[in-house]
Amino acid sequence: MSGVSLKPRATLEARVDLSGITPAVTCPLTLRELEGLSVPYGAKSVPLAELFFIEGAPEGVLLIEIGDSRLDGVGAGMLEGELIVDGVVGAWAGRGMGGGVLRIAGDAGDFLGAELSGGRIELAGNAGAHAGGATSGSRRGMSGGVLKIGGNAGPRAAERQRGGLIVIGGDAGEGLATDMIAGTASVGGTIGPLMGRGMKRGTVFTRTVPELPAGFVDTGEQELVALQLLARRVPELKAVIGQSTRARRLVGDTLLGGQGELLVPA
Amino acid sequence: MIRNGVEIRDNFAEAFPMVGTRLIVTADTPDWALTAGRVTTGFATSVIGCGCEAGIERVLAPEETPDGRPGVSLLIFAMDFKQLKTVVPLRLGQCILTCPTTACYAGVETGKRVPLAKTIRYFADGHQISKKIGDKRFWRLPVMEGEFVCDEDTGSVEGVGGGNILILARTRGAALRAAEAAAAAMGKVEGVILPFPGGVVRSGSKVGSKYKGLFASTNDAYCPTLRGTVPSQLTADTGSVMEIVIDGVSFDAVAEATRVGILAVCDIGAEGGVVAIDAGNYGGNLGPFHFKLREIMANEGDVA
Repeated sequence: MSGVSLKPRATLEARVDLSGITPAVTCPLTLRELEGLSVPYGAKSVPLAELFFIEGAPEGVLLIEIGDSRLDGVGAGMLEGELIVDGVVGAWAGRGMGGGVLRIAGDAGDFLGAELSGGRIELAGNAGAHAGGATSGSRRGMSGGVLKIGGNAGPRAAERQRGGLIVIGGDAGEGLATDMIAGTASVGGTIGPLMGRGMKRGTVFTRTVPELPAGFVDTGEQELVALQLLARRVPELKAVIGQSTRARRLVGDTLLGGQGELLVPA
Repeated sequence: MIRNGVEIRDNFAEAFPMVGTRLIVTADTPDWALTAGRVTTGFATSVIGCGCEAGIERVLAPEETPDGRPGVSLLIFAMDFKQLKTVVPLRLGQCILTCPTTACYAGVETGKRVPLAKTIRYFADGHQISKKIGDKRFWRLPVMEGEFVCDEDTGSVEGVGGGNILILARTRGAALRAAEAAAAAMGKVEGVILPFPGGVVRSGSKVGSKYKGLFASTNDAYCPTLRGTVPSQLTADTGSVMEIVIDGVSFDAVAEATRVGILAVCDIGAEGGVVAIDAGNYGGNLGPFHFKLREIMANEGDVA
């Protein structure tokens, strides 16, 4: 398996769906074979070589040298290998990913990591709406893996999440963890209104208590052994948990019988 | 072979395969971790009557444990995997879940999985909370004192049970002192436990019995009070025999414990009342692992 580098020939004039272009697909192919690979571009399909200069890259890596907000589905369905984007991406990046690593140096559009089931996504910038959430009409969002967002996340991140870990370094928009089924989310900054409505289970870590829906019940500050266990087993949570062994625990959405929790380490 | 006046007999300890697992138990204080360790491994001296053999492998410093609290590592061995899957959740539920401030984690990652919170979690009556990190899942069970945290399961190893040494001494006091020294030294070896009380057995057994239905009976060949009445292995100056039984996660771990145990006994020497070191050998019918005393001590030098 060798590596492949894609460098846009010019600014994209229409949206490109790269959801079929993963390291597992590109790396076994020769550069000549890759040139003919067909990708949806606006209303038509074009050979990959019409949009990108195609060159070699380190083994197992698919590198997109210059990102573009019109590049949709980057890393979608990826199962192995490493996909690196040196810039921004459009919507659906890492959608349904089951393994491998997706690194994005810029911002991402809506539905980043939607229905992620494994692997790891690292976004340096901001994410759009529904990060780690469910796609339209789907009942379950992200179920496994790690989605790390360096900046802010838009509305409805972690919606219907049922597993895995979402770490948001900055702020989370409105409706974080709406209808969350299980899993863990962590927010380093502030959380927008209406967090956790319909939350069944799952955990959201944060530093300050946000404005919560009526269904949340404050159980007070608790001594939780799991805090330091998580801080040790999950390096991504160390930043928000620190050395704390106590946390304020707010449970909800009790209006719907839910037992999700918001933990604010003391 | 004679070392410091102690005869190391040309014999071997005969051991058998066991299936074992390791649990890491933590608590708020070292005392409570030890308490949990002691009760969990209590009444677990011999599979003959207890269903398993268990012991505290070692005490763990906070930096060695998954949650940064003081802890102990426990080894539990059973004759087969089915039995292990039965006894571990029982002891977990009765002795660790109930003990204040404890948490319980997997101490072995490989091998067949032994359920921990996989079954115990139902105690929480629907309030249990699961967290899956990578491939590992743990559970948080609300309890009156706070939360009980427990890994979903632990791995298992195919280990060795029944390694042993017999300490032959002139008096009961001398035998006990030598056994205590040996147990202290052997207890420092990683991967082994000495499941009997304080690590020492005073009622070593032979295989079989004249009574129907008994699997084991007193090892009459090593009973001083029977010397002369039965075929005895004891010299005239032997007044007491103590045995140390070793279970380990591997042949090498048991062999190492055997080595350091014999060295500790020999350090006490003939002057301390030790006559000889022997081993429980059942004619090769008990198990496939043979710990040959002289081979184990061959590289120790200073034979005199």
